[in-house]
Amino acid sequence: MDREIVARVAKAAHIALTDEELDRYSKDLADILDYFRILDEAPGEEGVGVNPVDVSDVLRDDEPRMDIDPYSLLEGMSTYDGYVRGPRLS
Amino acid sequence: MTSDLQKINDRYSMFSALAPHIPDDAEFLFSAKDNLTSAGIETRCGSKILEGYRPAFDAAAIEKMKKSGGGLVGKTNMDEFGFGTFSVNSAYGIPKNPFDRERSCGGSSGGSACAAAVLEDHVSLGVSTGGSVCCPAAFCGVYGLTPTYGRVSRYGLIDYGNSLDKIGLLSADAGRLKKHLPTISGRDPRDPTSCVQPEPALSGKRIGSVAVPKEALDGASADVRRAFNESLERIRGMGADVETVDMPALRYAMPAYYIIATCEASTNLARYVGMRYGRQDGDLALKFDDYFTSFRTKYFGDEAKRRILLGTYTRMAGFRDRYYAKALSVRRHVIGSYREILKNYDAVATPTMPFVSPKFADIALMGPVESYAADRLTIPPNLAGTPHLSVPCGYDGDGMPIGLQLVADHWNEDVLISFASDWEGMFDSRRAEADI
Repeated sequence: MDREIVARVAKAAHIALTDEELDRYSKDLADILDYFRILDEAPGEEGVGVNPVDVSDVLRDDEPRMDIDPYSLLEGMSTYDGYVRGPRLS
Repeated sequence: MTSDLQKINDRYSMFSALAPHIPDDAEFLFSAKDNLTSAGIETRCGSKILEGYRPAFDAAAIEKMKKSGGGLVGKTNMDEFGFGTFSVNSAYGIPKNPFDRERSCGGSSGGSACAAAVLEDHVSLGVSTGGSVCCPAAFCGVYGLTPTYGRVSRYGLIDYGNSLDKIGLLSADAGRLKKHLPTISGRDPRDPTSCVQPEPALSGKRIGSVAVPKEALDGASADVRRAFNESLERIRGMGADVETVDMPALRYAMPAYYIIATCEASTNLARYVGMRYGRQDGDLALKFDDYFTSFRTKYFGDEAKRRILLGTYTRMAGFRDRYYAKALSVRRHVIGSYREILKNYDAVATPTMPFVSPKFADIALMGPVESYAADRLTIPPNLAGTPHLSVPCGYDGDGMPIGLQLVADHWNEDVLISFASDWEGMFDSRRAEADI
């Protein structure tokens, strides 16, 4: 687990790390992944179910409805003239 | 009422927010973990990044508790986004164990367990991803129930790991688990994973046989071994057969869990970027990448960052098959292993935690692997989505509570609820002295 990989992962995750943090998290991740190596010998089962119980798609009737008033959601947001404020895109 | 709760909270830090108003006509009082949205009450998940977030709606479980006559008294303190075993990873103070305030309440529903232990006639909604209901229940000497994955609607639950998160109950009184499990259960079209469940039925079916994995006591402290073995004698005294079984799959559950949980968490937490929820006070002149990064760097805590990094790494191209796909396949193996054993037995018993609640000074010395390994007995049923119960079953020399964990098959909460009621009748559990 080298520092370059951790730095790349952190950039992908939008987290900036100081040199000290880069050292510390690199060591922590190395220790954790070292422990995870016992998975290499673990028996598995076919398939890649992503839920622990069987789930099925549930579709509601195709009728417009509004569970929550969208204007009430805007109350907690930083807005300007009915628009949500955001950072620059370029 | 609210000023009394404030005094209690000053002593134990179990609440991250108190309800501004408790209805006078409430038939019973409850609290809810702070990762369940509550209309108008600040909901922060133990994280600075959500400071100021006031949801527009109640989570389904809170809504149902209110409809059945419950008065919400407050939101309980927790590890940031549920990331922890000891509730020390909260940005809003650390809940203190009612039996010894130098020790942890357990995590991540530590505030809920503390409220259940300290307040009279109380029930608290907790959430378990990898053991966050049963661990704190054991450390605080109360009853804790995590239902089957999908039994309780997750609508309004702020996600940690979608395929693992389960809403459960904590109380000093086993009767409240029986009373409120049906209240919060049931299909909810707003959470499709809740829509495959059979009708919840509490028929009073009793446990006739219990399997004890021979791996159950690996690394357990002497006090936990003693209390566990005494509990098995009590279970035999209740007329149930107790037999030892092999369950080698248990040792693979912990790494598989941490891979799935952190993969899911790292994607779920991608939404916290200083827009829409919580803090939004960054410099909008920054380019969006820099704006997002500055927020996440400043307001996520240490363990949240560690888990985001771990989950992002194990999902990366080139590693995905080795970690994430393997972990999913191991989960199926663990589920198969429970299913095989539960064909012949009604429940699987282990201690809940391998030791009693540690002191904060000792927790500070633990590395991540040691801390994650503390969850090795609560993780397997959480990974498998099987319902599980922790009951108080003994005390160590310092009077710290010890928990017994029982795991039943998917959708079979019935036997766990019956067991809790029977156990309460024969085990003399102690209440912590809350001298306020």
